[in-house]
Amino acid sequence: MVECYTPKSLDEALAIRRRTGARPLAGGTDLMVQYKQGVGITPVFPFPVMIISGIDELKGIETCEDGSVLIKALTTPSQIASCEAVPYLVRAAAGRMGAVALRNSATIGGNIGNASPKGDLPQPLILLDATVILRSQDGERELLLDDFILGSKKTDLHDDEIIYAVRIPKVEYSYIYYRKIGTRRANAISKLSLSALALVQDGRIIDFRASSGAAGPKVIRSHEAEALVVGQRLEDIQAILPGFLAAWDAAISPHAMPQYRRNTTRRMLEHFLTTVATAPQEGVIE
Amino acid sequence: MTRIDDKIRRVDALEKARGEAKYLADLSFDDMLYARFVRSTVARGRIVSVELPDLPEGYWYISAKDIPEGCANSLVMIAGDWRCFADGDVRYVGETIGVLVGRSRAVLKALEEAITVTYEEGEPAVSIDDALALKGGPILEKDDIHCSLVSEKGEDVEEVLARAETIVEETVETGFQEHVHLETNSALCCIEDGRYTFYISCQCPFYVRKSVAGLLGLKPQDIRVKQTTTGGAFGGKEHFPDVLAGPLLVAESVVRKPIKLVFDREEDMLYSVKRHPSKVTFRTGLDKDGRIMGSDINVYYNCGAYLSSSYVVLQRGVFHANGVYNFPSTRIHGYGMATNTFPSDAFRGFGAPQTLFAIETHMDHIAHRLGVDPVEYKRSCFLCQGDETVTQGHIVEKVVLEEMLEQVAAKSDYWRKSKEYGRGSGKGIGMSFYNHGGAFTGNGEQAIIKAHLKLVKDGGHFTILCGQTEMGQGFRTILRKIVASVLEVDLDDITYDNPDTDLVPDSGPTAASRSTMIVGRLAEEAATKMKERLGEDHVEIETEYSHPEGHPWDQSTFKGDAYLGYGWGCACVEVEVDPITNEVKVVGIWSSHDIGRAIDELIVHGQVNGGIIQSLGYASMEKMENRGGHFRQTSMSDYVIPTSMDFPRQEWGLVDNPYEWGPYGAKGMGELVFNGADAAYIDAVERAMDVTINKIPMPVEDLEAVR
Amino acid sequence: MIGFTLNGRPVKWEGNPLTRLVDVLREDFGLTGTKEGCGEGECGACSVLRGGKLVTSCLIPMGSLEGDDIVTIEGLRDTDQGRCLVDAFAEAGAVQCGFCIPGMVMAAQALLLTNSKPTEEDVRLAISGNICRCTGYDLIVDAILLASRKGEGLW
Repeated sequence: MVECYTPKSLDEALAIRRRTGARPLAGGTDLMVQYKQGVGITPVFPFPVMIISGIDELKGIETCEDGSVLIKALTTPSQIASCEAVPYLVRAAAGRMGAVALRNSATIGGNIGNASPKGDLPQPLILLDATVILRSQDGERELLLDDFILGSKKTDLHDDEIIYAVRIPKVEYSYIYYRKIGTRRANAISKLSLSALALVQDGRIIDFRASSGAAGPKVIRSHEAEALVVGQRLEDIQAILPGFLAAWDAAISPHAMPQYRRNTTRRMLEHFLTTVATAPQEGVIE
Repeated sequence: MTRIDDKIRRVDALEKARGEAKYLADLSFDDMLYARFVRSTVARGRIVSVELPDLPEGYWYISAKDIPEGCANSLVMIAGDWRCFADGDVRYVGETIGVLVGRSRAVLKALEEAITVTYEEGEPAVSIDDALALKGGPILEKDDIHCSLVSEKGEDVEEVLARAETIVEETVETGFQEHVHLETNSALCCIEDGRYTFYISCQCPFYVRKSVAGLLGLKPQDIRVKQTTTGGAFGGKEHFPDVLAGPLLVAESVVRKPIKLVFDREEDMLYSVKRHPSKVTFRTGLDKDGRIMGSDINVYYNCGAYLSSSYVVLQRGVFHANGVYNFPSTRIHGYGMATNTFPSDAFRGFGAPQTLFAIETHMDHIAHRLGVDPVEYKRSCFLCQGDETVTQGHIVEKVVLEEMLEQVAAKSDYWRKSKEYGRGSGKGIGMSFYNHGGAFTGNGEQAIIKAHLKLVKDGGHFTILCGQTEMGQGFRTILRKIVASVLEVDLDDITYDNPDTDLVPDSGPTAASRSTMIVGRLAEEAATKMKERLGEDHVEIETEYSHPEGHPWDQSTFKGDAYLGYGWGCACVEVEVDPITNEVKVVGIWSSHDIGRAIDELIVHGQVNGGIIQSLGYASMEKMENRGGHFRQTSMSDYVIPTSMDFPRQEWGLVDNPYEWGPYGAKGMGELVFNGADAAYIDAVERAMDVTINKIPMPVEDLEAVR
Repeated sequence: MIGFTLNGRPVKWEGNPLTRLVDVLREDFGLTGTKEGCGEGECGACSVLRGGKLVTSCLIPMGSLEGDDIVTIEGLRDTDQGRCLVDAFAEAGAVQCGFCIPGMVMAAQALLLTNSKPTEEDVRLAISGNICRCTGYDLIVDAILLASRKGEGLW
């Protein structure tokens, strides 16, 4: 039988992690599915695990002095979706993960640690330049989530580290956009998702970002493409749009359903930017 | 006292909602063992060797070698070609090669994974086109055609087409559909009182014993089958339970302890029967005014590796291929194609939904070409009482499609919306018309089934004995209501339990929308006779099916009245399509059905709702792909079916059109309500997006390809 | 040894901490009202309440349950709230094959615990993780709305 630990504190968990390399098991919404054996059979894990769901130090949402929001690893999508302090895009994504029971069980730590291309939370988090805080017995390190997730199911998590929290910096915006196209209207896995954000001052775009989920091995952001938009005046958007869309398209990797993903991503970005160009009331672009 | 029009509660609702009803997985027996199937991992090939690990004490591996000498390795369904165990070769992925039996399910799984089967692989034919091209060489003796038939009426269709002003040619295709009954397939075999006994989740307990008895050289009546509370079936538990029961029976003959087999969802998804994928081609001749002169139709169904029940499915498909329309001339060829996929089998509608979707879509496309409203065009071709059917029989009953159209058009505001929503505007409304022949095709009720039902009176209590099963459709309530109403007693004065083949007469399968129409009628007759003898203490009355006069049928030529009567339907669907993402939001669903008369409106309401949502899932999201013989969708997260959020509340209605031969005027309805919403949905989507669609399902990525 | 509350009573369980709650409920405690439909949290048939919140018991390893509070259909059905719900399901015609219904009742209970006067939209959202293949959901929605009306003051 594979080793399974049930640490009661973060220190204990970090010690077990260093000693055995046991992987954290929290909500079970990924791992208990991946290693299930069928009706009446206990799941079999090919590696040691530790059930960390009882560790209170890993739960909760905090707003920091600099305006950033710290979401600890065991926070569930239900808690995230209903917390006003969390930025809209992340709440929107959390609120559309699976259905009620999954949102009560899954955790943000699991969703980013699993690094599925179809994961719901990394996409808006990466747009917002969120960082991940990793703890080990040696201390703590913090890096961009975009750098932490290396590819499909691959992260930079070290063998002795545990995901402690995600920090979302305060990001100002005038307009935001979030779409998830799922396999159905609820309780769905993402076929494609997109977040976009624009900050407009005096008719000029001073920040613009976009990120695509489920369109490649990891969340796609293209700083090169974003740079084509930043600094432009609203009335110039139409002119730079083709070049921007071409640059975005080049960033999307060929994948299953390429035609749909490419075309829809292009249409969503086009819709967002052309709507922003009309200088509508600030807020969420539908 | 319960009357037929009373609003009552389903007799099984409370025990199910309280979690007290016992489904097969909930049963536990002393000294019970578990079974696990060992299945083929290749679609086509010769088995070179099966290497077993050492089996621990108390574990068995059972395979074709355990079938006694002289007994056929055959599951007797409608055909007997489906083997209990693959022997020598395999014909589809998931074919049962053997069964492991023992106490620990974890050990069984480990043993299964330790078995090495070596194959000499052949090239599989997976699709209808593969089969037509004889990919990998013939699957059957000389070709890949399991079965075929032709239906014709009117003039020679080639001559008609030669005279036509225009010929509209097109192909319409439908995909696999998985039943996804929430309770997976499950069965338990044991020996009780010295006899082989099954507890099983199934639609047709008598089918089970007939199918498997020969494996041990027994007669069906030597085996006892007890249906357990069945958590959904939709056709998926009509013949398929036989595929569980066969290996279990052979294992039981060796092991002689209770053996339980419960599929997990992945097994149920990958290794169970599906709805037949179809391809229907049309060559339809129009005169100078756009009227249909005749249509030449080819119907291809992907039957998978074994014929099993597919010939009857194909017949139903062919007989419904002109839909609710009266074409002056038609010729329909049907071909059941053999492929190396899991055998296709019954699924709500039993072959009718595929051709009905095809003809509705074809009619919509012709109307669009002619620039007329599809509903106007379709109504000009409606079948009427006395019209000739495609089998050269006649529509016997009054057809009230116009009344249904009027009802649905009024509720949905169809005519205004149809005119106002421009093609490609993002909004669309579509309407479909459909029917479903009630009960067994042709003279099956008379020649094959000959249903019996028994009603017993003991003191003041009555017991109904018949083989019909409750699988969620409400029949335990329906039948008691019919009898209570005739006898003018309370529902509680009547017992009607899950059937046990030792205790009840064979009233035929619970399938083909026949239960209310045929068996309900037998119950009504029995109760009517019983009513004359209420003064006696103990009375037993048995009724037997007799065929109504005036329905000629020749099974050798497929000519005559294919069905005793039809249910009729009209469905309307309104959509809004997101121009950016192709996401389709259904904003309205309306329907009207002619089911003769409702025995219980609340039960009918639930059937209408459920059937329509299943049909909308079929058209929109339920995509099951097969590559190289392997189904790609393995779970309920990648084969998705509708949730509570996918479709809006439905408006529904009935028309009153009592059926002469049904109890209280009722006819079949369980399948009818599946048969048309798919086409209405696609019609609406085509109009909203200004596209032409020739296949289902159509998820967003497939809509991208046609926009 | 893991101690938790099951349907209001303290219980202890010993075994592999990765064992799924659904198997323990059904096979060790004989609580077969909780059904397994998919084994991966997609269908909701195995729904139970954990600390008053809806969860799917097929995804919960026993090792995570120390000190937790689990309620299954068996623990709900004979309470005032449970009786009201179960009765409304029967009254509204919401039950067909019934396999999803105990889980559906648990989802309804989880909803009503936080929102005793839900709208139809609230109800549809609350049960969107509970798959039913029979009913098309309308009558289930009706049942939950009916329970909310009839059970005035219970939640």
